Amino acid sequence: MNSTHSEPATKVDPVTPTPAPERKQRKAPAEPERFALIGVWAVLIIAFSLIVPQTFPTAANVSNMLSSQVVLLILAIGLLYPLRAGDYDLSVASTLNLSTVIVAILNVQQGWNIWVTVIVAILASLLVGVINGFVVTVFDINPFIVTLGMGTVVQGLIYLLSNTSTISGIDRALSSAVLTRPFLGIPVGFYYAIVLVGVAWYVFDKTAFGQRLLFVGQSHDVARLNGVNVPALRWRALIISAGFAGLAGVVYAGTTASADPVSGAAFLLPAFAACFLGSTVLRIGRFNPWGTLIAVYFLVTGITGLQLLGAEQYVQQLFYGGALVIAVILSKLVRNRGERKRRATAVEPA
Amino acid sequence: MTAPAPLLAVTGLAKAFNGVPALRGVDLDVLPGEVHGLLGANGSGKSTLIKILAGFHDADGGTVTVGGTTVAGPFGARGLRDHGLGFVHQDLGLAGTSTVLEHMALDSHGDAPGRRRVRWKDERARVTELLDRFEIDVDPSATIDTLSPVQRAMVAVVRAVGSQELTSGSATGGQILILDEPTVFLPRHEVGLLFALLGRLRERGDAVLLVSHDLDEILEVTDRITVFRNGRTAGTRTTKGSTRDDLVQLILGARDEHVAKGAATVRSDRPALLSARGLSGARVRDLDLDLHAGEVVGVTGLAGSGFEELPDLLFGARPATAGRIEHGGTVVAKPTPGRSMDAGVVLIPADRKGQGGALGLSVLENVSLPFLNERAGGLHIDWKSLDRRAQDTCDRLNVVPANPHALFGHLSGGNQQKALLGKWMDTNPQVMLLAEPTQGVDIGARREIFALIRSAVAQGMAVLCATSDYEQLVEMADRVVVLDGGRISAEVTGSDITKDVLASAVYAEEAS
Repeated sequence: MNSTHSEPATKVDPVTPTPAPERKQRKAPAEPERFALIGVWAVLIIAFSLIVPQTFPTAANVSNMLSSQVVLLILAIGLLYPLRAGDYDLSVASTLNLSTVIVAILNVQQGWNIWVTVIVAILASLLVGVINGFVVTVFDINPFIVTLGMGTVVQGLIYLLSNTSTISGIDRALSSAVLTRPFLGIPVGFYYAIVLVGVAWYVFDKTAFGQRLLFVGQSHDVARLNGVNVPALRWRALIISAGFAGLAGVVYAGTTASADPVSGAAFLLPAFAACFLGSTVLRIGRFNPWGTLIAVYFLVTGITGLQLLGAEQYVQQLFYGGALVIAVILSKLVRNRGERKRRATAVEPA
Repeated sequence: MTAPAPLLAVTGLAKAFNGVPALRGVDLDVLPGEVHGLLGANGSGKSTLIKILAGFHDADGGTVTVGGTTVAGPFGARGLRDHGLGFVHQDLGLAGTSTVLEHMALDSHGDAPGRRRVRWKDERARVTELLDRFEIDVDPSATIDTLSPVQRAMVAVVRAVGSQELTSGSATGGQILILDEPTVFLPRHEVGLLFALLGRLRERGDAVLLVSHDLDEILEVTDRITVFRNGRTAGTRTTKGSTRDDLVQLILGARDEHVAKGAATVRSDRPALLSARGLSGARVRDLDLDLHAGEVVGVTGLAGSGFEELPDLLFGARPATAGRIEHGGTVVAKPTPGRSMDAGVVLIPADRKGQGGALGLSVLENVSLPFLNERAGGLHIDWKSLDRRAQDTCDRLNVVPANPHALFGHLSGGNQQKALLGKWMDTNPQVMLLAEPTQGVDIGARREIFALIRSAVAQGMAVLCATSDYEQLVEMADRVVVLDGGRISAEVTGSDITKDVLASAVYAEEAS
């Protein structure tokens, strides 16, 4: 190695980290936009509480809203991993459905122990991720196309396995593992999801893996030239999202105690909407888990409120679809504005 | 001669990025019937001027007069195209799989509503006529991919002319064409064809502004020359009667801007820190090279000679087709960026924005990437100590703004480069591979970067610097290797390294 551990001779000498002189207060530029969605959410809550005071602000409704989104939240958190690496995974909803159907078939039709079926279902989901990642990285193909195709293949498999029929009668043990109300009358599934959000936050912000994912998402070349194994990371991210989809599928099987071959597909758009809307909160322009959590519950608040007001099923599609498009527009606008502002502040001290 | 009114006149144009002035008020006028050369070192403001005229940036001050009428900024997304300016950018703006005809037809429907039918017959007639008029032997139905580089360049130029004629509705000349380094990617012997085309434009009474780095080209083809230095107009000269030395003087300004190199203590007695044996890549052929501790080795050559590829090959960023790489005498089985970094070999790529750093992330995140393993232990990143280090690096290397939380993309080119240098120097590298390290870097930062590199070398690092900027090699290198056709054609050492020697070594093949 270099003999540069002697006294620094020039200012380029690598320094051992010494306590830095106290910097003048470095104020992060205030970005009220970061909290805009939370503000809108609060307004929604207050408005609905005033308009439908008998039904909206009740413990039962709150508990229902929180627990009804657990599947979506787990799915969206998993989806964050490939999104963070700049890759879309469009197969997550089918994978979720596959996991649900496997649990039902093995448990109900084959009579397997419920916990064994859960493990098999998650392993099968992981396998989908392995195949996705294999095709994406080994052949270097756009994951958008690969996962779109794989998602359809998986959907076909589901029809084949389930004979296109709904299977009900899944072991109650699974339901109670998801729906028990241990605290504040909220089903335990909600707390599982919160833990997963916390883990994702830790992974993204505090681990080298998370930082590398972020760089891969920004630029494959930059990451590669900094010694990051780009294909391996992308592959791993796709496996993680598939695994989360499998887990979400198991929870879904627990909440409904049955499995039908189609309803999983309905989770795809809401999951993407939540991730993109989440990227406009807290850390603007970055897919982040707490933002996703907020987005999921913002969306369900709006939908539930409108439904309590008498809106029909269609309001879901309007809300999720609209949210996705508006989120993308918002993040673009906010980024442009932030850029101008920072440019302006950068000029001042010169 | 009594000067006719200029077709294009720029006065006092100024522009600053992030508070760093790129243009401090430049003046320039281009007359009808002249080819006007625009020269200047990297970062002198040439490209900023072009980008303002083309509408990429808005000027902060100054006026632009086209054909006698002053055009008020901002020029909008189409820049001054609607006022009769045509642009040919360095990358020519041609899509490989479309035909010549399709490209030109695109211009004639310009702003027309999408439902308008393209009259292919008329278009073909127009394009054929245009190509014939300028004596360009290209089939309008040929796809761009099948054309030679110079044919592409000529198509791009004629396309711009044709588009201007459509705008002005006449084919009588008086257009203004701005060519931004159109010759960089052309083989030397074909450049003449393009210049003949420029000559025909001049005869028509068009005004051509030719931006170039190449003095000989400029002296050969232009009528007058304007030189930018450091964001100002350093002077305008008539080409007839100007010499290379005059222009070099104008471009560089005061001569005493060199950094003392300091005596190198090359440790050639020890095994080389990095060696290549029989290395081949896309361009490089069977190359042997040793980098010893304490030396800066320059690599240069013409575009396409393979010198640009060498840092990537040595780093393992692109696979070698043959040969081997040794770190301190040990053969590296399959060089990858990761393995090279482990061995203390680092690369600072030429494409700073695409490969050097992630523009959308902060300086802190960018400079911390190599330290994630060491500081994170894989499980927990110590952001506090990384932050301290990044702050320290910014202060030490004089990165402006000295705020690790600033977005990397918001820094100027020179500051980005300093941050990247700081990042890699903190990893205690043994070998640093640089590709065009001062491209797009202002003069002040350039000198700071040279000083940093020299002092790192003084402490036993080896540096390889691949660049086409001879000035830089003169200032920095202890030894310069000249590549030609992928092989080493000459080696210049010590005080023999001057711009003239390098230039004649690089062009030797052409002359013979």
